Amino acid sequence: MAKLRVQFESGEPERVIEFDPRRAPFQHDGRPGSILDVLLAHGVHLEHACGGNCACTTCHVVVKKGIERLSESEDAEDDLLDKAPGLTPTSRLGCQAVIEDPDAEIVVWIPKYTINQISAHGG
Amino acid sequence: MAVELEGRLEDVVDHGADTRSLFLGLPVPLDFRPGQFISCQLPVGGETLIRPYSIASSPEESTRLELLLNLVPGGPGSHHLFGLPRRASVHFTGPWGTFVLERAPAAETVFIADGTGIAPIRPMLRRALATATGHRLQLLAAAATPARVLYRAELDALMRDHRDFGWDHVASDALEDEVTRRYVARDADRSRRFFICGVGAIVPTLRDLLRRAGYERRAVQYEKW
Repeated sequence: MAKLRVQFESGEPERVIEFDPRRAPFQHDGRPGSILDVLLAHGVHLEHACGGNCACTTCHVVVKKGIERLSESEDAEDDLLDKAPGLTPTSRLGCQAVIEDPDAEIVVWIPKYTINQISAHGG
Repeated sequence: MAVELEGRLEDVVDHGADTRSLFLGLPVPLDFRPGQFISCQLPVGGETLIRPYSIASSPEESTRLELLLNLVPGGPGSHHLFGLPRRASVHFTGPWGTFVLERAPAAETVFIADGTGIAPIRPMLRRALATATGHRLQLLAAAATPARVLYRAELDALMRDHRDFGWDHVASDALEDEVTRRYVARDADRSRRFFICGVGAIVPTLRDLLRRAGYERRAVQYEKW
């Protein structure tokens, strides 16, 4: 079973999700087996304003462990990440980063705000 | 979680059998940038579907949003929206998205819109014309036939009023060849800026074509639905 540990800038308690990547998709938004797919299916809210179609940055996550176990990013994801606030070398879009390895152990950190929320609602 | 907003369906305009504009009246103005989208929260089949729609109207009309959409065969979100009666409530979050144009670039600018991909391009184009810098603004509107180009009369009027603006119809299946002919093969100018929107593989195809031809990565902005 793969393990996804989720930490929140907002201060919510850490969540640990164990799942079998071979059973993806787990719901209908984001790439099958993506971080977004896994989180939503396990009751963890991750913003995804574009429906998980790689058209915004609201599902930006920072991968703190296991980035090498995720699918490689493509141009569309990298172009969007360029515009994400708080970009780090291990930033990914949750809707695009797929966990394929059944033995993977991934730790992600979810930022509190997205660029769009800051713009629209004054932070 | 994002703040949920509400609009009411005030009007509907059909552009054809399967393409429609929905006009949402808002109780308070929505502050958005040309090119952004809203994320509709649609109650379908006992769950909430998230469906993004570009805002086809301009920020100056901040209490009345126009959404442009196709009826997608088998698509529960578009079928729900096509079936809404007037005065129906539509819940959404937003605005969202980084495919935006706030001022006309200081360079020749090419907008490429395939079908309903003209939705975010339309307010971008209006803003570019309102802030024009004297550089050429060109729209390639791709559709199956010239008659199916959306907002055709409006585009003609803009072209009459703005000498630096022009638009052409391009057959959707000829778009790649036409972009190659005009902006890759014809000259060595790589100072142009591009804003591309459409549905499906044509968008990354054009992105890669232009970047490989020598245009700067950030000079080629795009949104693929």
